[in-house]
Amino acid sequence: MTNTLRLAQLALAAALVVVPASMGAQQSRPAPMPPASGSDPQFKVRLDFNRWHDVAELKSDFEKLEKAWPKFLKLTSLGKSHGGRDILLMTINNPDTGGEMSKAAMYIEANVHGNEIQGSEVALYTIWYLMENYGRIDQITKLVNERVFYIVPTVNPDGRDHFLKGTGAGSRTGHVPVDDDNDGLFDEDGDDDLNGNGVIEQIIKYVPGQGNLRKNAQDPRILEAVPPGQTGDYISLGSEGIDNDGDGRVNEDPVGGYDGNRNWASNWQPNYIQGGAMDFPFQLPEAKAINDFLMSHPNIAGVQSYHNSGGMILRGPGAEWQGEYPGADVSVYDELGTQGERMLPYYRYLVIWSGLYTVHGGFIDWTNDGLGMLSFSNELWNGGQYFNSPALIEQRENPNSPIAGQRGQYFFDDYLEFGDQYIAWKEFDHPQFGKVEMGGWKKTQGRVPPRFMNEELSHRNMAFTLYQADEMPQMTSGETKVEAIGGGVYRVRVDFTNTKLTPTIMAKAAQNNVVRPDLLTVEGKGIEILTAGWVPNKFRPGATQLIDQKELDRILLRTGAPGRATRTIEYIVRGTGDMTVTYDSIKGGKAVAKVTVK
Amino acid sequence: MNIRAFLRAACVAAAGVTLVAASSSTPLAAADYTKYHTYDEMTAALRDLAKTHSKLATLVEVAKTREGRTIWAIEIANPGGTPVAERPALMIAANFEGDQLIGSQLALYVAEQLLTGYASNPTIKQRLDAHTFYIVPRVNADGAEAMFGAVKAARKTNSAKNDADNDGRLDEDGPEDLNKDGFISVMRVKDPNGPYMIHPDEPRLLRRADAAKGEAGGYSVYWEGIDNDGDGFINEDGPGGVDLNRNFQHQYPYYQPDAGPHMVSEPEARGMLEYVLARRNIAAILTFGESDNLIAPPNASGAHAPASVIDLIGFANDSLEGARTTGRFQAPQGFGGGRGFGGGRGGGRGAAAPAAGGRGGGRGVTPPATTVAPTDVEYFRTISDRYRALTGLRTAPATRIPAGAFFEYGYYQFGVPSFSTPGWGIGASAEGAGAPGRGGAAPGRGGAGAPGGAAPGGRAGGPGGAAGQAGRGGGPGGGGDSAAFDLRLLRWMDAEKIDGFINWTPFKHPTLGEVEIGGFRPYALSNPDPSKIVDLGKSHTEFVTYLSGVFPKVSIASTSVISLGGGLYRVKAEVDNGGLLPTASAQGVRSRSVKPTMVQLGVDPDDIVSGDPKTNFFPTLAGSGRRQSYDWVIKGKPGSTVTLKAVSQKGGSATASITLK
Repeated sequence: MTNTLRLAQLALAAALVVVPASMGAQQSRPAPMPPASGSDPQFKVRLDFNRWHDVAELKSDFEKLEKAWPKFLKLTSLGKSHGGRDILLMTINNPDTGGEMSKAAMYIEANVHGNEIQGSEVALYTIWYLMENYGRIDQITKLVNERVFYIVPTVNPDGRDHFLKGTGAGSRTGHVPVDDDNDGLFDEDGDDDLNGNGVIEQIIKYVPGQGNLRKNAQDPRILEAVPPGQTGDYISLGSEGIDNDGDGRVNEDPVGGYDGNRNWASNWQPNYIQGGAMDFPFQLPEAKAINDFLMSHPNIAGVQSYHNSGGMILRGPGAEWQGEYPGADVSVYDELGTQGERMLPYYRYLVIWSGLYTVHGGFIDWTNDGLGMLSFSNELWNGGQYFNSPALIEQRENPNSPIAGQRGQYFFDDYLEFGDQYIAWKEFDHPQFGKVEMGGWKKTQGRVPPRFMNEELSHRNMAFTLYQADEMPQMTSGETKVEAIGGGVYRVRVDFTNTKLTPTIMAKAAQNNVVRPDLLTVEGKGIEILTAGWVPNKFRPGATQLIDQKELDRILLRTGAPGRATRTIEYIVRGTGDMTVTYDSIKGGKAVAKVTVK
Repeated sequence: MNIRAFLRAACVAAAGVTLVAASSSTPLAAADYTKYHTYDEMTAALRDLAKTHSKLATLVEVAKTREGRTIWAIEIANPGGTPVAERPALMIAANFEGDQLIGSQLALYVAEQLLTGYASNPTIKQRLDAHTFYIVPRVNADGAEAMFGAVKAARKTNSAKNDADNDGRLDEDGPEDLNKDGFISVMRVKDPNGPYMIHPDEPRLLRRADAAKGEAGGYSVYWEGIDNDGDGFINEDGPGGVDLNRNFQHQYPYYQPDAGPHMVSEPEARGMLEYVLARRNIAAILTFGESDNLIAPPNASGAHAPASVIDLIGFANDSLEGARTTGRFQAPQGFGGGRGFGGGRGGGRGAAAPAAGGRGGGRGVTPPATTVAPTDVEYFRTISDRYRALTGLRTAPATRIPAGAFFEYGYYQFGVPSFSTPGWGIGASAEGAGAPGRGGAAPGRGGAGAPGGAAPGGRAGGPGGAAGQAGRGGGPGGGGDSAAFDLRLLRWMDAEKIDGFINWTPFKHPTLGEVEIGGFRPYALSNPDPSKIVDLGKSHTEFVTYLSGVFPKVSIASTSVISLGGGLYRVKAEVDNGGLLPTASAQGVRSRSVKPTMVQLGVDPDDIVSGDPKTNFFPTLAGSGRRQSYDWVIKGKPGSTVTLKAVSQKGGSATASITLK
C-alpha cells in the first residue's frame, strides 16, 4: 500500500465517523471501515470460509475478531473439555445500548458431535459478518444494537480435533473414557490407520460366491448389497483397525463412547433407555460448563445448536411421550420454522421425534423445557444441494444418468472435487483378517458440504438464526392516558407492546415455572393504587378485568406478554404527581412509561 | 425430638455413655448415643473412629455442601489381601432428608460396631477382611442443622437459594414461631370455606369433609407463620432449597419447587453420584430415609407398599397450592386486540404438520422400569424378612413416595439391590388402634391403592409417572381413608407416652384472626426418642452384618485339561457363584449398569483353535452354587501353564492356573 492511498483511506474513514441518519440517537457509532474498493466494501479481518478450522485455528480467528472489534466482542472460556481444551465463548454486545442482561440474547453453539464440524464455521462467519457489516447494513446495525449474542463455536473441542487432526473416524463422542467392552480397560482398542494414509478406510474381503456385497457393474468403486437370493463376492469387515488389546476382538473399545447431546436434564433417561446418556445429566464437563452458563444468563431467549446433516430445522420435543408443546408455542415455532424453509432451500422444518428420531435428554429439549428459551437445531447440509437445479434433479431420476443414485456422488467427486474425496480399493495384508481390500470415502465427504459451498451454507443458516434473534421478544411502551374521575381519583391507562413474534415467556416455560414472571411495577410519590386491571379493548366500552393480586405496584405476570400484541393496563389511583409504570421482563427487556397524574 | 427429650438426654448423657460402653464388648471410641448429633459432633465422632482404628477406617470427602460443610464417608475394610476397591462392598447412607437424623445415628453406630467388633467378632472380622463398607452418615449436612436451631421446623431441604414460588424474590416468606413454643407447627382456622372438619374419632385431628355424605367442612389449615410478602400465601417460600431425596434421576419430580431446577442440581447429590460411580464394586446400598422397602418389601408386582402420609401435613401443604399460579392470565382474555398486531398470522399450520407423516422415527420407545424386576423381588423379600426378624420392626412411621430418591437410583440405574428404611417403627402398640385401610402389619400386597412408586397419571406409553406426581413433601398421597394414618400414629404416641403432638392452643393471628396452633411435633415424625438409638443400632448392626454376607461370590469351581496330541489341548472350566445374590440383579442386567462377568483365558487369540473365544461374558449368574461352563481347544507348549480369570464387578474375581499336560 502506498502512502498516498493510506492517506486517502484515512480521509474516508474520518468522513464515515458521521452517524448515518438511519441509526437512532441511542445507537452508537460504527467502527471505522476501510474504504470501498469499487462498489464493494473492504473487510477489516480476512478469514477463510472454504476450509475447516481445528480448535487452535478457531481460537486464533476469534482472537483476531476480538482484537479488531474490542468494544463489541469479548472472548472468554466457559471451562475446559475433558481433554483440557477451552470451551470458547464469544459475546457480542454493544455496551452503548445497555448491559448484556438488559437485552434479549441469542445463544448459538455448534459441534457437540465432534464430527459435525461445519457449524463452527457458521459460528465464525456469524461473528465476522455481524462485525464487518455493523454500520454498513442498517438491519445488521440495528440487530447488534438491540440484541446480545453468545456464540460457542464448538461444544466438543476434543471431538473436533480428533476429527480434523486425526483420521476422522469415531469423532461424534466426547473424550471421557468409557469401557465399551466391559473388560475393565478404557478406550484400549479403537481403529488404526494401518497403511498410514491418514484415513480410516473400510475393509472388505474378496470371498468369491460367499459374500453379500458386490462391486457395481457400471462403476466398480461402488460397493452394493446383492439382491435377495443372490450371492456376492465381497463381505465387509468393518473399519480399518486391528486387535490392539489381544482379546480376540477388533476395534471394540474406541475413544469415548457416548453422545454429548443426550446428557441434558429434560426427559433425561438412563443408558438402557437412551444409549450414550452417561450416568446423570451434566456429568460431562462440557455439558456442565455450558449449563452453568445458560442458567446464569436468563436473558437468553433464543437458542440455535448447529449439527449435521440432512437439511433440517429441528425443534423439540425429542420424544413423543413428552407431549406436544402448548399450542401458543407451536404457532410461534411454526412461523419461524416455515420462514426458515424459505430461507434454506432443501431444509425441512421438523419435530425431532417425528421427523428425525427419538432423543431423550437432548440439548434443545432442556433449553426449551427447563430454561424457557425458544430453541432450534439445524442439521446443516442436504445432499440435494450437490445437483440443485430442476433439470439436474429430473435427470437424477433416470437410472442411466451418470448422476443417478450413488453414482452422483462419484460424478461430483470426479468432476467438481477432482477426485479429492475418494480412495480406491487397494489390497492389504491384515494381521487378523488376512488378505483384504481397503478404501472408501474420506471424512470430509457426505456430512459436510464441499468446501467451496460452505460459505453459502454459513450465510443462509446465519440468516435464519439472525431472523430468529430479531424475533426474540422486545417490550415497548405506547400510548398513555390519564383521566380524572372525581373525588381525587384518576384513571391511568398505559399500553405495553411486545413488538416481536416470540412471547416474553413461552407457554411451556410458564407451565414449568422456569422463567421469572414479568413484573408490572409502579413508582410514584403520593400515588395510591386502588385497583389495577386489563382493558380488553380500549376502543370499545366494556368491563375491565381486575387483577386479583395484593401488591398492585408489583403485579406478577406469569404468562408474560404474547408476541406482536399490545395490552392496555388500567390503574385507578388516588393522588397526584409523577407516576412511572415499568414492564420488566427477563427475556424481553424493560419498557418504561411515565405519566403525570393531575 | 422435643425439648423435654433433649433435657432428659442431657441429664443422662454421662450415665448413658457408661451404660452403652458396658453393654459393648469393646470400649467405644467417643460417640454418645443418647442424643442426636450436630454436624460438629458427628464429624468429631467420625474423626475419632478413623483415628482410633486407623488401619481399618479412612475418612473421605464426598462433597462440600452449599454452606461449606464436608460430607464425610467413612470407609471401612481390613486393607490386606484383595484390593479394597475390588471387593463386593456395601454402601450405607443416611440423612438425605434433613429432618431424618435417626439414620445418621444408626449409620454411625454401625460403623463403630464394625470397627470395634473386628477384634472380637469373627463374623465381623470376615466381613472386613473380604468386603468394604462405604458409610456416609450425614448427606444433608446443612439441612440437618435445623434440628439444633432455636426454632425447629422439620426442614428436609438443603441450603440452596430457591425461589419456591417463582415470584422473583428469594426465601421471602418463611415461617414464624408465633406462639413461641420453639416449634413451627400448623394453624387451624375456622373458615366457612374450609374443606376440613374435626375428626369424629379424635378431636385433635382433622379430616377432609365429604360433601357427598353431607359433611360440612369449616376449617382451613396453614403452616405456622404470617404472609410476609403479602401475596396471599403463608410460608410459601422459606429458607432452604432442595430436598436431596427428590434430586436424583429415577422418577424425578420435574419442576416441583423442592426438587431443584433439574436432576442432580445439588452439590450433595452430584457428590454422592460421583462417589458411587467411582466405586462400582458397591454391590448393595442401604439408606436410611423417609421411604421404606425393608419393613414392607415390594409386592409381587415389584411395587412399593403405599406411603403412610400424614394428612395434617398434607393439608398444610395444600394451603400453598396456587402460590405459583397467581398471575397466570389466559391469552383469550384478549388484551388490546390480541394477536394479529402488525399484520396477521395466517392460519398456522400447527405442529409442523408436514413432518408428522414422515419417517415416524419415534414410536414404540421403551419406557424405563418403575417396578422391581420379578426375579429381583424374591431377593428383596428374603432380605426384608431378615430385616424384620432382626429388628423386630413391623410398621414404618410416616413415609412418602420415593420420587427422585437416592436408593431408587441405586436399584433402577446403578443396578444393585438398594434399600431404604426409616430405621425405626411405630411398634406393636399401634397395631390394635383401628387403623382402617392399612391392613394391619401386612405390607400392603396388591392393595387397591396406586402402588407408591409408579404414580399413575403419566401419559400412556410415557416414562411412568415421574413428572409432577410427587407433589409437595407429603401431598395427598394414596388418597383413601383420610386421617387414617394420623389417627394410628397419634394412638401409638399416646400409648407409648411419646410427646409427639402439640395440643392446639388459641392464638390471635395478625391476618387470620383467631386460630389454633398445634399438630405433630417437628422431628417427632421422622425420629424416635434418642433413648432408642442404641437398641436400634444393635439390631441394624446385625442386619448390616447379614447383608454384607449375601453378596455374589465368583470362583472357578473346576478346571480340566485333555491332551488331544500334536500340541492341542481341550480345556474345560466351570465358574460358579457361591453367594446368595446373583452376580447381577435382573435390573442391573436390564439397565446395563452392572458389567457382565468376564471369563478370559490367558492365551494369544491365535492359539485358540476351536470352542469358546478367548474373552467371554455372562450377564448374570444366580447364586447358591449356580455354574457356567466353558470349553476351549488351544495350542500350547506341553507343561506350560495358562491362567484363567473370572472378573465380576459385584462378586469379586477369581483366577486359576491350568497346566497343559
